[in-house]
Amino acid sequence: MAKYGMAFDYKLCINCHACEVACKEENGILLGADKHRLWIGESEPVGDFYNLARDKGGFLQHQCQQCENAPCLKACPNDAIYRDENGIIQLYESKCDLSLNCMDACPYDARYVDEKKHITDKCIFCSDTRLSRGETTTACQITCPAKVRIFGDLDDENSEISKILSQREYFTLKPEKGTEPKLFYLV
Amino acid sequence: MALRELVNKIVPIKEDFSIKSLLGFKKTPLNVLVSFMIVGLILLLVWGIAQYLMHGHHAYNVSREHPWGLLISGYIFFVGTSTGLCIIASLGHVFGIKEFNHIGKRTTLLAIITLLPGFIIILSEIGHPVTMMIYNILTPGITSAIWWMGTLYGLVLTFIILEFGFALRGDHKWAVRFGIGGLIADVAAFTTLGSVFAYLVARPIANGPFIPLYFLLTAVVAGAFFMFMIYGFKHKLNFPKEVEVTLIKLAKILGLLLVVTMFFEWWRMITAIYGGMPERADTMMKIVGSSSFWIEMLFAWAIPFVIILVSKGKAIKALFFAAIPALISIFLMRNDMVHYAQMAPMQMLKKTEYQLAPTWIEYFPSPVEWAIAVGALGVCFLLYYVAEKAFDLDEDEHH
Ligand code: SF4
Ligand code: SF4
Repeated sequence: MAKYGMAFDYKLCINCHACEVACKEENGILLGADKHRLWIGESEPVGDFYNLARDKGGFLQHQCQQCENAPCLKACPNDAIYRDENGIIQLYESKCDLSLNCMDACPYDARYVDEKKHITDKCIFCSDTRLSRGETTTACQITCPAKVRIFGDLDDENSEISKILSQREYFTLKPEKGTEPKLFYLV
Repeated sequence: MALRELVNKIVPIKEDFSIKSLLGFKKTPLNVLVSFMIVGLILLLVWGIAQYLMHGHHAYNVSREHPWGLLISGYIFFVGTSTGLCIIASLGHVFGIKEFNHIGKRTTLLAIITLLPGFIIILSEIGHPVTMMIYNILTPGITSAIWWMGTLYGLVLTFIILEFGFALRGDHKWAVRFGIGGLIADVAAFTTLGSVFAYLVARPIANGPFIPLYFLLTAVVAGAFFMFMIYGFKHKLNFPKEVEVTLIKLAKILGLLLVVTMFFEWWRMITAIYGGMPERADTMMKIVGSSSFWIEMLFAWAIPFVIILVSKGKAIKALFFAAIPALISIFLMRNDMVHYAQMAPMQMLKKTEYQLAPTWIEYFPSPVEWAIAVGALGVCFLLYYVAEKAFDLDEDEHH
C-alpha cells in the first residue's frame, strides 16, 4: 500500500530522450512510436535566426498524471479501468473494448492504442515490470542523466519525493480540471 | 408454410407476402433506380465491414488525437433520427394529438429501421464488440455515459419492437404502454448520448449542458424531415387529405423547433466566444469561420424555416424537397459536432512557455468510414421496403 507519484525538476531536462528509450526497453513499448507512455513536450525557440534561444524549462515531461479523480476511469463503459492499491490507474486488459472513451476523456492526452495488444495503454509507473520485481524506481527515473525525475511514495513522509515537495514550490498541469494529478513540476 | 403460420400467430403479415411479391415491384425507371441504389448501398456496407474486419481501426482515419470519427457521428445520426421518429410516433397515442394517430404504426416502424443501421455502424466502430457486450453486462461501468447510453438503447429497441408488434396485432392498450416506455427510454438514451460529449472536462467546447439538449431538439427535427421524405415518396407528392393535415401540423411543430434550436445555437455561440476562454472561444471562432457550418445552417435550418414561415406550414411539397438536403446537412452536422469536440489540440505546457500557436487537429473520414456510414442507409431502406410489403402499416383503428 502506497501512493505513488512523481516530481520533475523539469528545468534540468536536456531533452535527450533517454527516459523514452529506457521506458520502451523496460516495458516492451513499440519502438519508434511517438508519445507512447511518456514523451517530452518542447517549447519553440525564440528570436531570429541565428540568434535563437530557448527558455530554461522549455522541455516538459509528459505521461499519465495518475489522477486522483480520473476522468478516464469514470468514462469506461466496461469498468475496465481501476485504481490499484498503490494509487496507480490500471487496466483489466481483457475488458478493454477499444471504444476509446478514455482517450477522449483524458485531459492530458496520456492514453494511446497499443498496437501489439489491441488495448489502450499509458504509463503505469513500471508497476508490472520493475515494481513487481521489487525495485523502487521506474525505468525513466533511473536512466535520466539530468536527475529530473523523482519517483516515490507520497504517503511516506520520509520518501525523497515527500521531502522535496515539502521544501520546494511546484505546479500541476491543468489543475482547473479537478483531476488532482499526482505528477508535480518543481519550480 | 409452417413458418408463415407461426409468424402470423405472433404478428399478422399480409396474405400476398412472399419472395415473389418482394421482387415483383413495377419496373418503372424510378423503382429500378431505387432498387439498384439499395443494392449498391448494401454492397458498399459489406465492403466497408470487410475492410474493417481485415484491418481494424487502420481502415479508418481516426487517430490518437482524434479517436472518434464518422462512424460515431453516423451512429448519432441514425439513432438520433430514430429518437425523433419515436417522439413523433407518440404524438398521437401518447400525447393525444389525434391527427397523428394514423401515422403511429408506420412511424414506429421507421424508428426501428433507423435504429438498426445505427447499431451496425457502432459495432463496426468499436475495436472489440464482443468484449463490449460481455463486460457491459458482467462489470457495468455505471459512472460511464456510454454504458448508460448503450443499455438504454437496448431497452429502446425492445420497447419499440414490442410496441410495433402489439400495434400490428391491433392491441392498442399494450402498444401504448410500450410506446410510453419506449418514449421515456429513448429520450433518456439520446440525451445520455449527448452527455458522452457533455461530460468531457478535457474538451471545453463540448463540456456543459448544451449538447444533450441540442441532441433532443435536433432529433425531432431530423425525425420530422425523415417523415417528409418517406411520406413524399410514398404518396409521390399526391398527399391524401388525412396525410396532408398531419404533415401541415408536423411542419408547424418543425418550424417551432427550428426557431428554438437556432436560438440555442446563437446563445451557445455567443457565450462561447464572449470572454475568450482558451480552447472554447478559439474553437468556436474556428467553427463559425468554417463554410460547412454555414452550409448546414442554410440547408438544415434557414431554408426549411423560411418555407414554413412563408407558407404557414402549408407548403409540404416544398418541404419534401427541402427535407433531403436538410437530412444530408444534419448527417454532416453530426460529423462536425464530433469533430469540433476534438479539434482543439490538448495543450499541456503552460501558455507562457508555449510560443507556437497550436495547430488544429485535422480529420477527414476514410473511404471505408464513408462506405459503412452511408452504406447503412441501404439496410434502412431495404428493411422499410420489406416491412411495407409484409405488414399493414396504415392505422385501422377507430377510437
Ligand atoms: S492522466 Fe489521463 S490516463 Fe492518466 S489517470 Fe488521468 S485521465 Fe487517466
Ligand atoms: S532522460 Fe531526463 S533529461 Fe533526458 S529527456 Fe528524459 S527527463 Fe529529460
